[in-house]
Amino acid sequence: MSDLEIQAGLGRSARAPRPAHPPRRGRRPRIGVAETLSGLFALFLVAAALAPALVAPGDPLGIDPLSAFQAPSLVHGFGTDESGRDIFTRVVHGTGSSLLIGTLATLIGLGLGLVLGTLAGMLGPVVDFTVNRLLEVLFAFPGLLLALLFILVFGPGVASATVAVGLATAPGYARIIRAQLVSVRSSAFVEAATVLGLGRGRILARHILPNTLAPLFVLGTLGIGQAIVWASALSYLGLGATPPAAEWGAMLSAGRTYIGSAWWMSFFPGLFIVLAAVSATALGRGIDRRLRHA
Amino acid sequence: MIASGHTHRASRTVAGLVAAGLLLTGCASPAESPTIEGPVTGGTLTYASGDAEPTCLDPHVGGNYPQALVSTQYLESLVSRDADGKIIPWLADSWTESADGLDWEFTLADGVSFTDGTPLDASAVQANIAHLQDPKTGSSTGYLALQKVTGTEAVAPNVVRLTLGEPDSALLESLSQPWLAIESKQALARSQEENCAAPVGTGPFQVKTWVKQDSITLVRNDGYSSPPADAAHSGPAYLDSIVWRFIPDSASRYAALQSGDVDVIDNAQPDTIVQTEKGDSIRHLDAPRPGASNRIELNSGRAPFNDPLVREAFIRSANVDDAVASLFQGTATRSYAALSSAESLAVPRPELFGYEPKDAGTLLDSAGWTKRDAGGYRVKDGVRLTVTFPVSTNQSIPAEQSLFEQIQATAKKTGFEVRLVPMDLSSWYTALGENNYDAVSAPYTKVGPDVLRILFHSAGIVPAPSGYFANHAQVNDPAIDALLTEAGQVTDASKRKALYTDAQNQVLEGYYILPLYDQQNHFLLGAKVTGARALPTVSTPTFYDAWLK
Repeated sequence: MSDLEIQAGLGRSARAPRPAHPPRRGRRPRIGVAETLSGLFALFLVAAALAPALVAPGDPLGIDPLSAFQAPSLVHGFGTDESGRDIFTRVVHGTGSSLLIGTLATLIGLGLGLVLGTLAGMLGPVVDFTVNRLLEVLFAFPGLLLALLFILVFGPGVASATVAVGLATAPGYARIIRAQLVSVRSSAFVEAATVLGLGRGRILARHILPNTLAPLFVLGTLGIGQAIVWASALSYLGLGATPPAAEWGAMLSAGRTYIGSAWWMSFFPGLFIVLAAVSATALGRGIDRRLRHA
Repeated sequence: MIASGHTHRASRTVAGLVAAGLLLTGCASPAESPTIEGPVTGGTLTYASGDAEPTCLDPHVGGNYPQALVSTQYLESLVSRDADGKIIPWLADSWTESADGLDWEFTLADGVSFTDGTPLDASAVQANIAHLQDPKTGSSTGYLALQKVTGTEAVAPNVVRLTLGEPDSALLESLSQPWLAIESKQALARSQEENCAAPVGTGPFQVKTWVKQDSITLVRNDGYSSPPADAAHSGPAYLDSIVWRFIPDSASRYAALQSGDVDVIDNAQPDTIVQTEKGDSIRHLDAPRPGASNRIELNSGRAPFNDPLVREAFIRSANVDDAVASLFQGTATRSYAALSSAESLAVPRPELFGYEPKDAGTLLDSAGWTKRDAGGYRVKDGVRLTVTFPVSTNQSIPAEQSLFEQIQATAKKTGFEVRLVPMDLSSWYTALGENNYDAVSAPYTKVGPDVLRILFHSAGIVPAPSGYFANHAQVNDPAIDALLTEAGQVTDASKRKALYTDAQNQVLEGYYILPLYDQQNHFLLGAKVTGARALPTVSTPTFYDAWLK
């Protein structure tokens, strides 16, 4: 996924979430084939993440040099790598870390975005101006570059890659949350609450935030797909998980060397990165549509 | 850059049209199809290196293999070595050694000049020795090779005398290496920065431009007159120029060769070598480096490898044979020696390096590492049996990194936790300098068995001016020191052999190193390239005799 597409994706979702008040009543959209398939794949991923040993009982690090470079077969569904490790087992065992990195990074991004967005949206023009300029500076860097800068300072590794991706996505979230807050703040029911003499904190907690959080859930689901791609990209560059860890990006990178003679080494980890991102995005879109019709 | 890119593309299109035209003519009248017989002058050869880009093009500074690869094209040494290992004349026509072995006189070739116009004379050689020995230069390889040289003297304009503090049986072998190449005295007098950017030598090519992170452009030296005694022709080189590029990713490097974007690549992956050997368009040049074998050195200077039992246990727990067979697919042969198989004095000891996990376990038990923790790793006094293993991703091809992963996996069964830490070259040097490693694989290339002194004499624990120290196993054994010192002094061949054999046996029996295979040095040459060969000194490629079909 290129940066442009990612930006475009964020842009679209920025338009999509709307305040839930006043509620519009309409027919719920039907669950499509894409959503069903995405849902099933996501369920498979969650199962693989929670209980990898049940899905693929082998040892993801167990080597067998004499059966190295075997093409996909009945014994090794996805083939074996240069050390004879089973690619299917490794892909399944890699799901946990990829999903965890994706989810944690999104939570970090959303959390930071929520704080910055709330500050900007609620604390008056001076804070709003300052936060906005800060966000503009951060926007000047492409997200992945921001992540690379962070890793340059704090060193490579799974933890810093997670934080890096979270930080890199935060400005986008902050801007959307701010816009959302501003529009909710100026809505009639908030004005009514103000007129009734409710305190600022109470209005924020009872009326504004709840109406902002539902769209955040959509953003988060969409963001997980993106975060998985970015985290894999960092591991691919050798800045996240390191070999021989079973992690999709690292596996893709290891397979690249042998792409001329053993395509399966990079194909299957790559396929799972793509499918994970696509299914997270499809699910996010589906939830978004349903929320709008709720 | 953009303009030159366009020109390249344009010239490639024109070349394509011309080739198509030739093909058509060829079809019309096969009898007249042009056949190229002799060497053709002209053309640009593009070389793509997988080694790290040097930070300095003068191999006196530091002194590593990437520098040797490129500097072989523009710098030359006093002597060279032929395919049989015999020292042959190069910039020095002849030499004599005094009876006590302490004075060496070199008579320089006539009429040789550096590419800046200054002549090759005794004072130039003196300036080079002084430059290598000057701590400010920051030399390691050249500096260590000249440790016994105490003085120089210009006996005549073309005769230089080297005075030694003790006899050096390896002096000629040392002087044949690219790290001790002779550069222009005038050029050496410039600042280090200037000299690093464009060293001036007597070679068949000279450095024209160096665009960092991109390429080095070398152009022919039209006044060239000093080929080594085993070259195929005399006079200037055939090629107009060489473009020296850096493509660290091995798959991209091979793809560039297949598409014809580059003509020669180094550090070829085993699977691509096997692939090319099936076809006939790409040629494979296998030139194992002399000096040490590729090996894992175990740091005996700190725990846990300060205990010989633990070192032996580690070696017994590593399944190297299966790994070499699966990963190198027949392109590398397992080594059981400290020296490269290119060295006639190498002593292989296969019985010391078998995969015996049971014995490894027993050894760890007797060394006190009896318990295992939840991760299955051995523990002693609450400390896990951890082996920190920094891996230079610039020096180890992916197949070698996979080999380390397999050793990590097999050693785990015995209870070793091997922590592989991939790093770039400079972080790797830093980790070694800080003594922050338990195992390391560091290639060391040197002509002749004297490499044993550099790697295993206790003096090698002391860093050279560049900060690099070569005795990574931190072998500190007076008996080995004595053997290596004496071997470095005796001139009698059979005595020298006996001493080096003894020393190698002691090193191998001390389980300081785990030999893997010869230092791999595989070049792939595109169909157009003819006449390229590896210099028998340190197996760097030379394109002096090369031409493009």
